Amino acid sequence: MKANAGTVTNFEVLDLLNSRGASNDTTRVIAPITTLEYKVYDYLMETPACTQTQEIITNFSDQCKDFKLAKAEILNIINIRPSSTVNLASILEEPSERGIDKKAKEGILKLVEALLPSPPIVEARGENEEEETEEGEQS
Amino acid sequence: MFCLSELEDTVRVPPDLLKLPLEVAIKKVLQKLFLDKVLSIGLCVSIYDIKSAEGGFVLPGDGAPTYKVVFIIVVFRPFVGEVIAARFKESDSNGLRLTLGFFEDIYVPAPLIPRPNRCEPDPCNRNQMRWVWIFEEQEYIIDDSYQINFRVENISYPPVPTERAEDGAIDDDGLGPVSWWEGCSERNNEDDDT
Repeated sequence: MKANAGTVTNFEVLDLLNSRGASNDTTRVIAPITTLEYKVYDYLMETPACTQTQEIITNFSDQCKDFKLAKAEILNIINIRPSSTVNLASILEEPSERGIDKKAKEGILKLVEALLPSPPIVEARGENEEEETEEGEQS
Repeated sequence: MFCLSELEDTVRVPPDLLKLPLEVAIKKVLQKLFLDKVLSIGLCVSIYDIKSAEGGFVLPGDGAPTYKVVFIIVVFRPFVGEVIAARFKESDSNGLRLTLGFFEDIYVPAPLIPRPNRCEPDPCNRNQMRWVWIFEEQEYIIDDSYQINFRVENISYPPVPTERAEDGAIDDDGLGPVSWWEGCSERNNEDDDT
């Protein structure tokens, strides 16, 4: 038994669910996707993963090599798509000790801006909350 | 956030599933056994692939064949230090609880909420407490209006393997409700221009 046969990005899981027929419309009932898998699908559709493709991810990981980032950090960046130094700061571990200065951080952000598409706009939940809780109770 | 794990298990396929193609039947049994269960390797989310299925022997006294199956599953297993976007679920005086939809046991204990802060009874919901962050004389309420980014601090598996709890931290730069930082970074840009 291999506990870790490989980490996958959020996009790859979304791609897997998509290839099995997951979608947002009424064909949900027919596709062979379990309720739990749909919850994962719904979650991932609100993250930057829904705008990415395999090419974009491979391209981005290749170009990240210059910045000497850890694999976990590259994964985090792909999944979260930081848009500012503040967002990036929470992802990088001890940047000053590894020689990642402000210029490098800006370089990374430029790469993110150029290669990774912008995430979907997640609307504020306030008004929709009542509808959603009602649906939750019914199902 | 997600990992692939290869497992081997002995699977009993009930006779009523034998009319389906073998792979589909085994997958159904595996889904029932593993999906939505927390194993030591993580929360099993989906059966990725079945690599091999051997055997198919029917044991005496049983009507169902048993297969030795090697398969790959997708597990949700965050690592310590990972930054994840979640939604607010509820809060009380001990801290916050966040949810990902498919996983709801993310706790942000009070010491890991950005300080200075204060906790007050929630005016909209009598049973809950509301946390407010005070920064530069402005108050930011932690509620469910936006996504909240948190960093995984600790993962604990309870002795009875039904749920798994995670501790998150939102007291660092860039963590917390996304709206705080979008507003803040705009402000910083203005300052730089002047």
